[in-house]
Amino acid sequence: MHELSLALEVCRMAEAGIARSGGGRLVAVGVEVGRDAGIELENFRFCLAALLDEPPFAGVRPELIEQPGDDLRLAWLEVDDGR
Amino acid sequence: MAVRQIDVRERVMARNDELAHEVRARLTAAGVRAFNVMSSPGSGKTLLLERTLAALDEEFGIAVITGDIQTQNDADRLARHTDRLVHAVVTGGACHLDAMQITRSLDAIDLEHIRLLFIENVGNLVCPASWDLGEAEKIVVFSVTEGEDKPLKYPKMFQMARHAILNKIDLLPHLDFDVDQAIANARRINPDLQFFLTSARTGEGLPEWYQFLREQAAGTPVS
Repeated sequence: MHELSLALEVCRMAEAGIARSGGGRLVAVGVEVGRDAGIELENFRFCLAALLDEPPFAGVRPELIEQPGDDLRLAWLEVDDGR
Repeated sequence: MAVRQIDVRERVMARNDELAHEVRARLTAAGVRAFNVMSSPGSGKTLLLERTLAALDEEFGIAVITGDIQTQNDADRLARHTDRLVHAVVTGGACHLDAMQITRSLDAIDLEHIRLLFIENVGNLVCPASWDLGEAEKIVVFSVTEGEDKPLKYPKMFQMARHAILNKIDLLPHLDFDVDQAIANARRINPDLQFFLTSARTGEGLPEWYQFLREQAAGTPVS
């Protein structure tokens, strides 16, 4: 039920992560989802994909990696430097 | 096109957990013990808190933060029983409270004059369990009009709680609810879970609950 707020937080962290590393266009985000994190995977994927399709993003690919445990982590960002 | 990968490895809940840590430090410094009360909708937790305020607020000072998706009905009901602050958080659709909302609510509460703080979470047995609010402990409330298998269906909630309140026991003669089975199910998930069996309506079982709260209030060192 709280998948949308978690997806929003992933987007906020992604923006901050890109700013920290010198900018660029976000292409994909990798998120590790613990099986006991209380997150419905397909619902989360749907929310994240919807947000990553809208400004300031555009067509960013969410990649969800299921893992044991109860953590939810932004694992990596794929950025196009345009160079 | 040069695509590079940036390693982040940051917990998504990190921001909430930092705020919760600050809330916990603030409450500990003020000598306030906070309970995050979580339940399914309609389990009777507002009436239970109304009773608790009526019985104990004058004794040692209790404040309440209520979370509701819409309306501040619960806060209005509770405010009738205390002069202290009952702070309503209307989540506007969110299914849980988060630590940011508690941080803001604490600014409106006179922590020096209370010993206990109840955070009445949004009625929902799923999401609230995932959000640390900076409480001293989580308490889960469910009632005999629900199934004995509630703990098995919502294990995280029962895993995270230290105490469970099984409410509406006055209705047991009219129902097929098996109390022992419900407790056994909960202890399969969390063997250390302590139970209070209550009826907020008739008052049955409430003296034990009040005694527990008295001990909690007395055991809180004031810095």
